[in-house]
Amino acid sequence: MNEDGGSTRKEDIERAPSRVDEVPEERLIRALMDSFPNSITDFLRLKDGVVRAKIERRDLHMACRLLRDNLGFEHLSMISAVEYEDRFEIVYHVCSYCNRLLLELITHTPKDDPSVDSVAAIWGGANSQEREAFDLMGVKFNNHPRLERILLPKDYLYHPLRKDFRG
Amino acid sequence: MAEMWVNMGPQHPMTHGLWNLRVKVDGETIVDAEPEVGYLHRGIEKLCENRTYPQIIPIADRLCYGSSMTWSHLYCMTVEDLTGLEVPERAEYIRVVAIEMQRIASHLMWLAAYAGDLGLSVGFTYTMRDREVFVDLFQALTGGRLTYNFPRIGGVAHDLPPDFDRDAIRAVDYMEKRLREYEDLFDRSKIFMMRNEGIGILRKEDAMNLGVTGPSLRASGVSYDIRKDAPYSVYPEMDFEVATHKDCDCYARYKVRMVEMWQSCRIIRQAIAEMPKGKWRVVAPRTAPEGTGLGRVEDPRGEGMMYVVGDGTDRPYRLKVRSPIFVTVSAAPKILVGYKLADVVAIMGGLDMCIGETDR
Repeated sequence: MNEDGGSTRKEDIERAPSRVDEVPEERLIRALMDSFPNSITDFLRLKDGVVRAKIERRDLHMACRLLRDNLGFEHLSMISAVEYEDRFEIVYHVCSYCNRLLLELITHTPKDDPSVDSVAAIWGGANSQEREAFDLMGVKFNNHPRLERILLPKDYLYHPLRKDFRG
Repeated sequence: MAEMWVNMGPQHPMTHGLWNLRVKVDGETIVDAEPEVGYLHRGIEKLCENRTYPQIIPIADRLCYGSSMTWSHLYCMTVEDLTGLEVPERAEYIRVVAIEMQRIASHLMWLAAYAGDLGLSVGFTYTMRDREVFVDLFQALTGGRLTYNFPRIGGVAHDLPPDFDRDAIRAVDYMEKRLREYEDLFDRSKIFMMRNEGIGILRKEDAMNLGVTGPSLRASGVSYDIRKDAPYSVYPEMDFEVATHKDCDCYARYKVRMVEMWQSCRIIRQAIAEMPKGKWRVVAPRTAPEGTGLGRVEDPRGEGMMYVVGDGTDRPYRLKVRSPIFVTVSAAPKILVGYKLADVVAIMGGLDMCIGETDR
């Protein structure tokens, strides 16, 4: 560990007010519950340092802002879009370098309106991953700076990861 | 002078694979950039939905031709997370030896390409020759030289071949000798240093926000290595250091990878010495339960992740692959703007592009 890495952690720990006896997972759950009591549900501690939660899509953007600004989640690892029979699920894996945590944040969108708010303004790394989810799964991200196809040609007609796509 | 767009790629000596970097230049200075990927999109995620779980292991190998072992290992880890399978300890040690060998081989291939880009032909030939030592070792271990199909869900395909311990330690001894020589070769080369130092500055905040991971993130001064900070396999028992550098430039990225090769040698030695006896594979069930599984590893290029959704059958319902370079390359405009056109080669080379996993 070099000095720089150490200092990041120290700053961030000071920024997030905490009780001494709490483990980071519990502190995270408490902070989210306090801010979004009605829309965050189904907390589950998957393993050491990995927490899962569900959130209503109307509060997704606010919650992500809180995660980055107040809870030390500097890094958005992965955005996965999954199609189920009755809904689309967008799964955000958000990682905190300072607290060594990984949060799996799941949000649902209905089949007839697959859209969520973009988080590209919060984490720059979300930009291309949201474009990928739009490209392959056809989920729209509102307020995305440039929602275009990224892997497939621009004039392609289908979203191939959908279950009704037959090659 | 008027600004104009220059296409570097899809066929360009700088790209190392099939992708296109569009740069907007004002004279020689870059004012904007835009990477274009997708030329190698094979639809692997869709392909996996139509294959049984074991059939996907060789497909996962093909995600990145430079580090196929980490990807097939990551896939097996993800499915083991979904099924809740316990892997025998010996298998975990064999896997750690294999993925650290892969890390060295991958970094050596990067160094060869990078040296070639910057005009050090001798750097190219030396590193490719020494990579051969590890490729031969892989051939002894798995039978393959580039794509191995070696990890299995619940262990590894077979035990170590006879005398593998001796050969691995010999290879590591040789590598450590060569690494010292590389440091002399590169760090004392005036041209190499001039093209690296102070070029391609990526500040810590930008690196974190843009989702840059792996050696490039650690070269920006963030001490985060998944092997250390969210450990998997038997990494908690290994004694090694996380390589970081606070210069944020191309030289820092080179230096971090060099230190990582030293640390990988250290890990291989420990894993060989401490390897327990016993089984190397358990039989995995044919089907996986309903639910989700998550795997996360430190790929040689950054943070590799897989997210699998099982529906109770013998095929995954959905498999999502997080490619480190797909996200890292989107940070290219931030790093490139303000530098000269001739620096593009050093900056993009320093990110270690691999198009196989970027386009999937």
